[in-house]
Amino acid sequence: MRRPRSRHYAEEELLMHLLDEETPDMGQVISAHLLECDECDAISKEYADLVERIHTWAVAEVSEEVWQAQKAALLTLYRQDFAGGRGKGIISFFLTSVEAAWNYALEHPLPTLGYVAVVVAFALEQTISTFRLDRILPRASEVFEILRQVF
Amino acid sequence: MVSPQSDEDLVAKTLEGEEVAFSLLHDRYRQRIYSTVYRIIQDAAAAQDATQEVFIKLYRSLSDWNPRRAKFSTWLYRLAANHAIDCWRTRRRRLEAPPFDASDREYIPERSISDAIFTPFGVLERKEIVEQIRRRVDDLPELQKKVFLLRYFEDLKLEEIAEMEDCSLGTVKTSLFRATHSLRRALRRAGGSR
Repeated sequence: MRRPRSRHYAEEELLMHLLDEETPDMGQVISAHLLECDECDAISKEYADLVERIHTWAVAEVSEEVWQAQKAALLTLYRQDFAGGRGKGIISFFLTSVEAAWNYALEHPLPTLGYVAVVVAFALEQTISTFRLDRILPRASEVFEILRQVF
Repeated sequence: MVSPQSDEDLVAKTLEGEEVAFSLLHDRYRQRIYSTVYRIIQDAAAAQDATQEVFIKLYRSLSDWNPRRAKFSTWLYRLAANHAIDCWRTRRRRLEAPPFDASDREYIPERSISDAIFTPFGVLERKEIVEQIRRRVDDLPELQKKVFLLRYFEDLKLEEIAEMEDCSLGTVKTSLFRATHSLRRALRRAGGSR
């Protein structure tokens, strides 16, 4: 049995060496160690075998017809978005924000309801007077009055 | 001979509204994006839908891509992996058991692999191994899952993944090791290790 002159390496270090992800100075040191240490060499070989097995997980290719149909739909949308001005300035930002908010609301209905309830509650004058919010935010009622006049 | 256009060229033209450029980007990346998305969602139909959504997100957020921060492909894989994980999360909430797609379960690639795996009983053994990998990946925490798939299947360097995920290289290394190690244990338990 070969006897190593340097320390054994942790499995994580051996895996990183195998994947060529170690720091440059460590590469040669670990390679040299593996030549003289059966134990680390066996672990390294086991990981090499595992990585090879991982790569056997292949994904079936999607047929060209499916891709063409998807691309046609995608390009139609792309065209419409461009014609509608998406991708430009403030309108794009607004549309993207509304879309993101809508997606969030669909995925998280309960928290969304909570947020809406909080906004509505704050907007009610009664809430301001009941909780005396005008003391904490002295100009809140003025702001709401202005908003009410505007809308 | 026409030289292939770089990703940067195609991105710039897509931003200007050139449909052909966007079409070329789609052709270039569709299968790789689909593979990444499929390995996360593990359902062919849902992965196709999610891939389509990734490309919609791609052109709508293309102006956010900063070439000085990441390669286009890295940025796109991040977009795809994050979207796939969102879809996977939504599906997982809806379905009690993780979906395994029977149509893809039978798929064995044509490429040659080591004789050690392709023994006379190798086909059956490989199916079991792939099934184990799928189950294990499905159970991985999100960061480990992303790092595992992007490193082993998309050949992204760990440094790129760390930048992409905005975390330290050490965290990414540990995530990859934990994911690989847990798979090693699972295969050993299932008797898949020689």
